[in-house]
Amino acid sequence: MIWRVAKKEIVSTLRDTRAIVSNLVIPLVLMPVMMLGMPLLLGGLFERQATTVTPIGVVGLENLPADFVSIIEAQNVELVPVSDGVQAVQEGEVDVVVRVDEPLADALAAGEPSLVTLVTKVGNMKSELNASKVQQAVAVYQQQVVAQRLAAAGLDPSVLQPLQVETVDASSVAERSSGQLSWLIPFFIAIWTLTGGQMTAIDATAGEKERGTLEVLLVAPVRRSEVVIGKFLATVTFGLSAALMAIVGFLLGGTLMSGIFLPRLGEQGSEIASIMGGGLSIDLPSVVVLVVSALLLSALVSALLLTVALFARSFKEAQSYIAPLSFLFILPAVGLQFKDLIGLGNEAYLIPVFNVLMLMDDVVRGNYDPSQLALVWGSMLALIVVLLGFAHRSFQREEVIFRS
Amino acid sequence: MADLIEVRNLNKSFGTVKAVDDLSFSVAAGEVYGLLGPNGAGKTTTLRILATLLKADSGSATIAGHDIARDAEAVRATIGVVNGGMGLYDRLTGREILHYFGRLYGMSHEAIERRIAELDDLLSLGDTLTRRASGFSTGMTQKIVISRAVLHDPPVIFFDEATSGLDVVARRAVIDFVREYPSADRAVVYSTHVMSEVEELCDRAAIIYRGRKVAEDSVAALVAQGEGRGLEEAFFRLVGRSEMQHGGVPA
Repeated sequence: MIWRVAKKEIVSTLRDTRAIVSNLVIPLVLMPVMMLGMPLLLGGLFERQATTVTPIGVVGLENLPADFVSIIEAQNVELVPVSDGVQAVQEGEVDVVVRVDEPLADALAAGEPSLVTLVTKVGNMKSELNASKVQQAVAVYQQQVVAQRLAAAGLDPSVLQPLQVETVDASSVAERSSGQLSWLIPFFIAIWTLTGGQMTAIDATAGEKERGTLEVLLVAPVRRSEVVIGKFLATVTFGLSAALMAIVGFLLGGTLMSGIFLPRLGEQGSEIASIMGGGLSIDLPSVVVLVVSALLLSALVSALLLTVALFARSFKEAQSYIAPLSFLFILPAVGLQFKDLIGLGNEAYLIPVFNVLMLMDDVVRGNYDPSQLALVWGSMLALIVVLLGFAHRSFQREEVIFRS
Repeated sequence: MADLIEVRNLNKSFGTVKAVDDLSFSVAAGEVYGLLGPNGAGKTTTLRILATLLKADSGSATIAGHDIARDAEAVRATIGVVNGGMGLYDRLTGREILHYFGRLYGMSHEAIERRIAELDDLLSLGDTLTRRASGFSTGMTQKIVISRAVLHDPPVIFFDEATSGLDVVARRAVIDFVREYPSADRAVVYSTHVMSEVEELCDRAAIIYRGRKVAEDSVAALVAQGEGRGLEEAFFRLVGRSEMQHGGVPA
């Protein structure tokens, strides 16, 4: 009977175009688009901005030394004289203005500090990008002036750096290679199980009430426990499918990124790949731990969805109950990134949801303690049983079944 | 004939509202028994208790010999329920819906197909078997709702405001089906607020008002109490008398 109830829910969801798009297509497509689309789009914009000759306003062009002007213009900048710097930027005549009130060469020759004023719009990305061209030119020119002064004084430039700092990474290979994957994988499983399972969970509970089919189902000689478990299994199926699609989408995006986008960035590309977890490699027992943990997390989310949705009178009401549930998973996943800072002890492995996210994070980083498995899995199982028991009880309560 | 349904002193309250008040009746095989009363009289609550969906506060009932409190699963296997608010699974075809419920009632694939063929002859299911329910008219929906309720050939079937919202053709299909269903080992309980349907279909009926049975008799005897002005007149006379006797029980 359990399988018959589950099969009906699965077939019903598979024929719902909205559910298939949101459960399977969106996670598969969205992840590569997010991973590739944004960097490619922003990268293209930054690159275009860097290589395009940009007009930059100048007040007091006559005060700039010729070699400084050459350095600025080498940054793909065309200096355009303006009379009022602030007004020129405010009116959008130019994005940035350089203002020099005193002859710069005279001041530098006298060894006096000189002021170069940059007028920009803070928060305006184009303005800040163009300002960075001038700042780079100032840095290059400044280095030249300092080098000349040190040489004149008979000093080596190294006197400016009496100390050198070297960092040695003591993290394990697994820790280094896991990158952001250590928290992204559990985060995806939690969020996409919630997203993917909710259509089935709502349709199988509040949807049945709204259609007037729940009463028919409960009049059939089927145990309420069989109804609950059947609907629960269908919800887990779609929740887990959505999570798997998100992970496949993430891996697909990662493959495309490392094959197309990152090679263009050279050294920086390797660094990004490492941060994202491109070098991740985990052994078979760890994979088993991850899969079991993912199943338990998905089962917990599904049991919660079913319990909450059953209380609603309609599909829409159920959606409004479920929407805030995402915070139950987003907040622990965000907290997971700061777990080293927070300094959590073993008792944190008893906090539902957070514990399984921590365990998966540990597994991906290659430093999980097998003794914690029993603690995390046991507490998750207990909570799943409690939630299913609650759902079962709700299916027997007249005020829930006939709530209208 | 033997009684298929026996209801004894049934009571049910929702908070301070007494929905079913000391209700007793019995229904024999071969009978169409009417529960007649206005909306909110307690008819639906009574049928939900008999269908084991609600628990009675006190009293007892048996259906085909099975006690509704102690043997709920066996009771559910021996009844079928049709009500006006019942829907279908939009994304399944009529045949798939019938197979789903047939399996829940423990029927084999072959038995379900045989029964679908019988019901097709009886109700002209036609397109409803191959189309998804989302595209059904109200008449098509009602045909599958009835087929689903009687798929397992239950000895007792409850109709609760089953013609509500139906057009004249669909309503006629329900009426014809109810008239044909009773036999030597089958009975129908027909709950409605439509007087003409009770007159047309039922052998006996109980008039229910504010949870209480105001009168119970053969439909002919009840109509006679209207002194030639039909069951509606009889209903108002009987309810009016009851109101005076009980001093206006809260609804």
